[in-house]
Amino acid sequence: MKYTSDNIFHMLNNFFNPKSIAVIGASRTPGKVGYDILKNIIQYGFQGAVYPINPSATEILEKKSYPSLLDVPGKIDLAVVVVPSKNVLEVIEQCGAKKIDSAIIITAGFKESGIEGAKLENELIKKAQELGVRFIGPNCLGMIDTHSKINASFAAGMPAKGSIGFFSQSGALCLAVLDRALPDEIGFSKFISMGNKADITDTDIMLALSEDENTKVILGYIEGVSDGRKFMEVASQVSKKKPLIILKSGITSAGAKAASSHTGALAGREAAFDSAFKQSGVIRAHTINELFNYALAFANQPLPQGPNVAIITNSGGPGILAADACDKSDLQLIPLYKDIVDELRSFLPPVASFYNPIDILGDSSADRYERALNTVLKDERINGLMVLLTPTAVVDVEATALAVANISHLIDRPILTSFMGKKSVESGTKILMKYGVPNYSFPEEMVSSLNAMYRYHLWINRPEKHYPRFNGLKEKAVQIFDTVKKENRDRLYELEVHYVLHAYGFNQPKSLFARTSEEAVAAAKGIGYPVVMKIISPQIIHKSDIGGVKVNLNSKKDVENAFFDITTHVRNIMPTAHIYGVMIQEMIPKGKEVIMGITKDLQFGHMIMFGLGGIYVEVLKDVSFRIVPLGQEDAHEMIRETKTFPLLRGVRGEAEADIEAIEKSLLILSQMAMDFPQIIETDINPLMVRQRGEGAVAIDARFTIGGE
Amino acid sequence: MISLYVGSTSGYTGKTLITMGLGQKFKKDGLRVGYIKPVGILPIKVDDILTDNDAWRIYRALELKDPVSGICPVVLTQELAVKSYLKDVKGLLRKILKSYNDLSKDKDIMLVGGYGSIYTGNYLGVQGLQVIKRLNSKVVIVVKYEGEYIVDYVLQAKKDLKDRFLGVILNKVTIEHKQSADEYAVPFLKRKNVDILGVIPHDSIVGSITVEELNEMLGGKVLCCHDKLSNLVEHFLIGAMQVDKAIEYFKKTRNNAVIVGGDRADIQLSAMESGSVCLILTGELYPSEIILSRAEQKDVPILVVREDTYSIAKKLEKLSVRLRLRDKVKVDRGMSLVIENVNFPLLYKKLGIKIGQ
Repeated sequence: MKYTSDNIFHMLNNFFNPKSIAVIGASRTPGKVGYDILKNIIQYGFQGAVYPINPSATEILEKKSYPSLLDVPGKIDLAVVVVPSKNVLEVIEQCGAKKIDSAIIITAGFKESGIEGAKLENELIKKAQELGVRFIGPNCLGMIDTHSKINASFAAGMPAKGSIGFFSQSGALCLAVLDRALPDEIGFSKFISMGNKADITDTDIMLALSEDENTKVILGYIEGVSDGRKFMEVASQVSKKKPLIILKSGITSAGAKAASSHTGALAGREAAFDSAFKQSGVIRAHTINELFNYALAFANQPLPQGPNVAIITNSGGPGILAADACDKSDLQLIPLYKDIVDELRSFLPPVASFYNPIDILGDSSADRYERALNTVLKDERINGLMVLLTPTAVVDVEATALAVANISHLIDRPILTSFMGKKSVESGTKILMKYGVPNYSFPEEMVSSLNAMYRYHLWINRPEKHYPRFNGLKEKAVQIFDTVKKENRDRLYELEVHYVLHAYGFNQPKSLFARTSEEAVAAAKGIGYPVVMKIISPQIIHKSDIGGVKVNLNSKKDVENAFFDITTHVRNIMPTAHIYGVMIQEMIPKGKEVIMGITKDLQFGHMIMFGLGGIYVEVLKDVSFRIVPLGQEDAHEMIRETKTFPLLRGVRGEAEADIEAIEKSLLILSQMAMDFPQIIETDINPLMVRQRGEGAVAIDARFTIGGE
Repeated sequence: MISLYVGSTSGYTGKTLITMGLGQKFKKDGLRVGYIKPVGILPIKVDDILTDNDAWRIYRALELKDPVSGICPVVLTQELAVKSYLKDVKGLLRKILKSYNDLSKDKDIMLVGGYGSIYTGNYLGVQGLQVIKRLNSKVVIVVKYEGEYIVDYVLQAKKDLKDRFLGVILNKVTIEHKQSADEYAVPFLKRKNVDILGVIPHDSIVGSITVEELNEMLGGKVLCCHDKLSNLVEHFLIGAMQVDKAIEYFKKTRNNAVIVGGDRADIQLSAMESGSVCLILTGELYPSEIILSRAEQKDVPILVVREDTYSIAKKLEKLSVRLRLRDKVKVDRGMSLVIENVNFPLLYKKLGIKIGQ
């Protein structure tokens, strides 16, 4: 489904371009919110009509005041509501009567304040829907639009005009960001405090900002989303148009939910959000600082068209730090063409470093910087440039800043700078900021910002995702799931698991069921030694935890002993468990053990999990996730994302594992999750992966089923 | 030769310990004691001989010399259980009789250990009542005292056993139940001509479990203090409240193990500081290094288990009714409890045993 950003933008037009604003609950007392908002609207130059509403005042801040909305003679486009929470419903009714369709509800005392507040909020939502009033809030700071010069907020100050659109769930964070932006004159287009998001949500605002021609970069702070799927769809749509940078907080440890097996324990909300962001092209900031850093880069510089970058520095240390940071990122410091190096050599001192990073030495003047930059840029393979400056005694900070800014204006490749320090570079950084060259106090920040831009370039240029479909598999397994539902079970029996995996094309070891040791011996003979024996009991999920698995049984005697040991041990420690018998399985030659599964997140739905088995998953928690449906690329990436990926590639002369088989298995699991939404958790552990071209075998698996 | 069957009207009443205690006392009094457990439900192999774990423990505690192969003629393995449900297994009673006859030669008294209750075993054709009859045994009924209502079962057993019924031993009587036993159950039973052969108090050490056993039963992983796995745990507590409340509650309980989520470092620390003897971390969440090093210093073994706190607590509750006597400390303590609290003069009188003649 496509969300029509166009419609939403028009729908929200009265918020961003009102011709008249009423402040309901306007106050004569400085320091009160009702006063501050009115004052902000007036003092920051709103051109339209402003109507203070206050039953006991005739004039506030030299504007004629009205006792109620209904007394205002003219048309009102936007209502800003500051009255106490108990009166908000009445105001919304008046909005309806006055045909006002847009409101910002600043008032607190709703969902965030307890049960009564939550009830009131529900009534508010209902009432507003009936009357066709859209609203931002309640419990928010308000909204600012620097282009239409509206400051309908109680923030102290007005940000500079610019191209960054910012929305935030937290009012306090809005204030902090605003305050941080003021001294550096970081420009914003819109500033929206979302509050409780009772009506207008993040996704509405994201869509509106994606349509807003004054907004080049969208910045958001969120604590949670109500509908993960919708968030992903909207974010994917928006991120194709404009960079969408989001800071997500409130990620708690995954362990809170009682986990019934590995995937559950490892998949948390953090994993879900991380995957959701990756899959929908959201640029994730982990700190407020990063949010700012990225915003500055995206708002001011063109995207790099490739990974190749060059660094020009007047000192060695910072150059190396920047090079290290590049190495950890997706950027590449490529060696320059020989004729370019030769040209550098013609004007740089002989002790300079002519390779990338290019160290033009501490005695550099603005001229030398300028020449070096222009020379390096002649290498058309360089997609982005980073300029480092340490405040040596001889360097002319301002002249260098101007030179860099001038060059930046002439080229369509990004230039980012790190004029390091604070006091002695301040005049230079001001110039850089003024001309739209983002400057960072430290080289690492500069590199990570350019890297974010490069990744975004990859995102918008990546081909349409390919979602492989596996048809005709569901039909073969549907009967099993129907039975489980009919019997109101939450787990698939062993034999059912076997059948479902078989239906979905997973290779499995040859298996035979046995109730007694005689049957077990016969089964082992049928399969051929050596064999594996596993306890079969509906109460036992993790068989090896309780000594329910024996491997490498080579003879009749081995099988008999194993039968006695397993059944006795299990009866002893789990006397209430019902033992059906044992499964005799073909012993699969050792390969690379991986684990994969399906897990279900409350907000984003099914996710596919992958990790290397054994200690890697238990101790290192080295697993990756993607939200269903998986594209071919997702499967490809999630395998390579794990730290232990090189082990699959084969180290020290080992043969490479069948990675293609793993990819296909992940895609099939994604299909399975879509076919059977009632799956809460699936674990294939281990999947024994053979050498390249030889496939993989699902040794053990379990399924947990829940409601639809 | 006297045949004394130690039976019960339900499982897990403490028959094994009482049998050990009785045997010990009989030996002390100069009797030649033999022991058989006709049907065992805890299979174990001793030198490749299939027997029952409880029987094997009694055999060792009483330092018997008979061949191990005879002490438990019928062992209920998974194999036997499945087979007996699928078709009738014949000849088990005969097997029991043969072993009994072999063992009872040259003995003054044969102790016969029941399994489950005197009513179980029917499906194998070896019900307790039937075995008692064939072995011509007198019967002591062991009851786990959980309230006055148990008198009903005792009366039924008396009725079913007729003149073979000797009397009853009330076992595991907790402090909370002592009064009801003294004021209602004991006088009532006496009025109904039931002899009270002993009232054995509940003992937290006998009812305790080693950390090692605990770990095995929970399928956990031991993270530290591997040399402290013999710590005895008497009580289990769940650490789910605020720290200050938790400390109070941990301090009040002797030899406790705390079940707590692996991510609750605060509770884990306070448990160790308040003297808990074991931590059971749930949810397969591993603790931080700080917790581990503190545990090493305080000698508190830490187990990590997969399930959540509630599931583990539920498992432990089930486990506490069926603790096994594995540990020497527990066995010695238990036997002396039995010797102190059983009315041997009365028992001897009823069995017709005269000591010193």
